[in-house]
Amino acid sequence: MGNKKILIVDDDPDIRRGMHVRLKANDYDTFFAADAFSSVVEARKHRPDLIILDLGLPAGDGFIVMERLAKVPFLAVIPIIVVSARDGLGNQKRAIDAGAKAFLQKPVDDAELLTIIRKVLGEPAQQEKATLHHQGTI
Amino acid sequence: MKEKALHVLLVEDNAGDVRLLREMFSKERSDSFELTHLLRMSEAETHLAKGGVDIVLLDLGLPDGHGLDTVRRAHAVAPDVPVIVLTGLDDEALAAEAMNAGAQDYLIKGQIENRALPRALRYAIERHRMQTETDLFRTNQIQFKDEFLSHVSHELRSPLSAIRQFVGILLDGLAGEMNPEQREYLEIVLRNVKQLQSMINDLFDVTGVQAGKLRIDLQCASVSDAIVYTVNSLEGAAATKGITLSSDIESGLPSICADPTRVRQILVILVDNAIKFTPANGTVKVQARVCKDDPNVLLLEVSDSGCGISPEMTERIFERLFQASDPALAGRKGLGLGLYICKDLVGRQGGKIWASSSPGQGSIFSVNFPVFSLPNLLTPALRKWPTKGPITIVVTEVGSRAGWLSAEFRAEQCRTIRHLLQECLHSDLDVLLPKMGVAGAAELIFIVAVTDEIGGEAISKRIREQFDDSEHFQQTELTLLTSYQSLAAITPKVNESREGFLEKMATNIQELMKNETALRMVENG
Repeated sequence: MGNKKILIVDDDPDIRRGMHVRLKANDYDTFFAADAFSSVVEARKHRPDLIILDLGLPAGDGFIVMERLAKVPFLAVIPIIVVSARDGLGNQKRAIDAGAKAFLQKPVDDAELLTIIRKVLGEPAQQEKATLHHQGTI
Repeated sequence: MKEKALHVLLVEDNAGDVRLLREMFSKERSDSFELTHLLRMSEAETHLAKGGVDIVLLDLGLPDGHGLDTVRRAHAVAPDVPVIVLTGLDDEALAAEAMNAGAQDYLIKGQIENRALPRALRYAIERHRMQTETDLFRTNQIQFKDEFLSHVSHELRSPLSAIRQFVGILLDGLAGEMNPEQREYLEIVLRNVKQLQSMINDLFDVTGVQAGKLRIDLQCASVSDAIVYTVNSLEGAAATKGITLSSDIESGLPSICADPTRVRQILVILVDNAIKFTPANGTVKVQARVCKDDPNVLLLEVSDSGCGISPEMTERIFERLFQASDPALAGRKGLGLGLYICKDLVGRQGGKIWASSSPGQGSIFSVNFPVFSLPNLLTPALRKWPTKGPITIVVTEVGSRAGWLSAEFRAEQCRTIRHLLQECLHSDLDVLLPKMGVAGAAELIFIVAVTDEIGGEAISKRIREQFDDSEHFQQTELTLLTSYQSLAAITPKVNESREGFLEKMATNIQELMKNETALRMVENG
């Protein structure tokens, strides 16, 4: 079976690149979009298994992207993880209500992001090599 | 240009005083003042509510209003209309208090000099206008500052995000192996990135503190969970500095009524501070026990063997932007917001925080929280209830088929569920009790409603409908079970004290909770 496909939507090229490196190392294929409009186009083209979505985007925002995806039956089923620098309080609820599977605030802990991706994709949890924040218990 | 006549409302019941004042007004140009005279405060309130009054001359001894109360009542109806208080010669102290209560000025009856009245009125109006303007300016400024801080902390997160990502990539060897020295340096980078991240969060939180917007969800919370979490996450930092971090939790500790996320946040700030101000080979200890003097209070202590605080500073350290004056002792400075945020969070959960210390002897930061108990929770709600009428309890059990994602995610879901349940309430007399933590993945939430069985059934039906309509809950594989039970049998008796009734009701709820949990165990088992 081929690798799972993930569409990364973020207007910051550095963040797209960073996510790409991390996801590639974990055997995911990545695709990119940098604004609200092209994210729907790319989703149609590649039919990803998962979308990682930023909220602040040119030509709209993450919520508009979710609305547009929801209107197309074969895109509406793609799970979405929102990763945003916006504050968690209101936006988290709004994102989840709009159908996102999870909301993570930037800067994201990579180990946490990977755990959530696996969970959303229904993959078995891996023993993470680099979980920086769960070392040892008392 | 002709000046607009000032509408003056005179509220005075003494005919002699009224005559004197009318006489003074009659000496002015007839088009400069328009006088309305009323005898009672109730009439004045109605008149003020209609609007159009520029200034009020208010007697403090009316048939239906006395002293400062009249000033407050006038303010309540017309906050934008300045008030001048009329007072007798022997009442100057009261007049001064009236000024504190919001009056613009006071005039002593029988001592108003010729022509002083119109001047006093015009000054009062002008002063009031200037004050309003200043207040508005200040409000705008605070709002601007909050928006600015919130914007800045948002904008800082993005570049920080990229830095953290790539440091992680390098450290995990995704771009080739690092030599030990390179790895060590990158770990320093990562540590500082995390510090910056927590400072940005503080900045964001503090704008929330000032706007009173930090969300707090009171519920049945475990102090030992919070302590274990804090010790786990800060052990590494303590070890790096050669500090022993330990905890001592009294066995059989009761739960507290607090927001568990906020309790963790408070503890992390306190322990992090303690580590920061304690030299190598020192100790930091977290303790929790029931308060000796009051079994309804739980006491949390974070003590260290650090440099200590001088007694006169033990209060000032909770001020905003306060920082240790000796940077050599403090090591790396923070923003000086941590303790300020702590104090706000503790206060809003009904607790207290204080520090005790002497220099060179280490410090102890103490926090107390109210112990979780049903009577405590029910008291504010019951105050509103009528004394008769049956009471029904609707119990909603929220479970999850799969342990879902992170703890934060679950907390957010619980909030959403509470909002959903809130919408199912019958009337404003009904209350939603915070979730009661029970073992396992399920939570119990109670609606205590003043209704009969049929009403109880209606509420639980409404809950089911709302839940069925909510796609989000189904997607997240939550299950929701509701049942209801009428507590008509414990409708308060005529001479029964509220305390006694509360106690009885709490016992009933506790029984119900046990049964529900038992029920679930049977289902699962």
